[in-house]
Amino acid sequence: MFEFAIAGVTCPVFLLVLVGLTVGMVGGFIGVGGGYMVTPALIVFGFPGYMASGIDMTHIAGKGLVSTVRHRQLGNIDWTLALTMIAGTMLGVELGVRLLVYFKDLGISGVVLLMTSVVLMFSLFLYTQIETRRAHKRIAELEREGKGALREVQTSNLPRLFQHIPLAPIIRCRTARVIISMWVIVLVGMVTGILAGFLGVGGGFIRVPALVYVVGASTHVAVGTDLVEIVVSGAYGALRHSIEGNVDMMAVLFMVLGALLGAQVGSIATAYVRGPAIRYILSYSLILATLGAALRLIYVMTGQQIEWLSLAAVVLTLGEMIFLCLFISSLVWFAVRRRRGKWVPEWVVSLVM
Amino acid sequence: MAQADRTKSTVKMLFWLLVSGGLVFYMVHTYRSGQMIHWYYYTASVDGYAVNARAFIDATPERPARLAIVPAAVIDGLQAVPVQAGGRLPRGANGVIAMRELEAGRRVALDSAANTISVMVPSEIKEQKGFKYKDTYKHKGIRTNPWAGLWNVAIVLGLGLSLGLLAEGITDFCGLKIEKLDHVIGH
Repeated sequence: MFEFAIAGVTCPVFLLVLVGLTVGMVGGFIGVGGGYMVTPALIVFGFPGYMASGIDMTHIAGKGLVSTVRHRQLGNIDWTLALTMIAGTMLGVELGVRLLVYFKDLGISGVVLLMTSVVLMFSLFLYTQIETRRAHKRIAELEREGKGALREVQTSNLPRLFQHIPLAPIIRCRTARVIISMWVIVLVGMVTGILAGFLGVGGGFIRVPALVYVVGASTHVAVGTDLVEIVVSGAYGALRHSIEGNVDMMAVLFMVLGALLGAQVGSIATAYVRGPAIRYILSYSLILATLGAALRLIYVMTGQQIEWLSLAAVVLTLGEMIFLCLFISSLVWFAVRRRRGKWVPEWVVSLVM
Repeated sequence: MAQADRTKSTVKMLFWLLVSGGLVFYMVHTYRSGQMIHWYYYTASVDGYAVNARAFIDATPERPARLAIVPAAVIDGLQAVPVQAGGRLPRGANGVIAMRELEAGRRVALDSAANTISVMVPSEIKEQKGFKYKDTYKHKGIRTNPWAGLWNVAIVLGLGLSLGLLAEGITDFCGLKIEKLDHVIGH
């Protein structure tokens, strides 16, 4: 047990290290900050809500940087794309926060927020699932034809549509192998920023699909590039929360130390899988988060009377972290077995390299 | 060539181990010594009495905690130090009992004759995001050092960078080849 003097909480250190490790692993793999997983976990450990948000946001900046360093080594970051998008993201976040304040003044922010989360995440889950299944099948076909499928296969036609918008300046993103109007990237950053600011999250789970299905980047590049955005938005959030007095740096330290291992495993694991595997994990993460948000929505709409709904949302969120870690670990394990010529289930063959 | 790579990765690993170790030591030391907390609980945002809320967490209306009012530079247990809005908080303080709280007299009462403050209800149950938590005088009526925000960000980014490069150094040292991925997209 460690006494966190600033937060005023006594909590076992291993729990914080464990949360840092699991969220670091999932975040390093699918390119999200994991705020929607960490904040409820910290509240369960006894941290006050405002402290949980502050600690979460500050740890995301540190953890994001740990993952970013590894993704840079893997060549998964397109700096042109990242830096172009940052301007749009910042503007979007500010607009999103103002939109939130507007709804708050109307007195309906809680319900609107949760409904938007549920609808948005469920729609993203559906689209990602449908497209990824198509890509999964296509890889299996290519494998059967002996054509040796690539690391990334996408079946969505949306990127071609956006890449043909003739709005100058047109920029070339070398790592992502994309030539696209700068304004499309700025707009993607802005729209995802508005949603992130409005929903009060880092926005990784919106930005990664947007980079894949709108810009046309490979899933690996989308993950690495999004982590750069997460570091920037996390650092800004950490600054705001620190000034408000919502951060206990010792809790942040333990979580970042846990993330050191988790982020390495998650980031390096991307080298063992194809793009659709990452998109599958992202979509499962989305549907589980949607369920959690739906439970909270019912809880709010029923006048916060049914206590077990709130508890179920937390249990679901914590269970999700463990489930996703096991899923990622099993994919890496199967990839290693396949590389050694050992048996692996058929559905895994087209997901791993 | 292999020997040169090995030496380079060893130097890289040791350098970033030293940097990250130094940062961790610095954070733990400043936290343990109370320096970080003193910087954090910087000034009072209201007129009132600076307290260490942890000292009277068990107080009840039946058994109130009595805080001696003393103009001290360091708070030791059941003590309250008068502060004005904008004034520096004494070491050991982690909250301020505002004058308006004393005037209301619901949770705290001022005994001018005995020069003490009686705390009757130090905590209350509040709903926040569906969870119950204790809300005490801790964190109330305080303002943090604005530079502490920048310091926090600098430290956490420094820590993330050094740990990331340390991990990279370890994998290089262990001879694990991490190569750049090819991002050709098939349709």
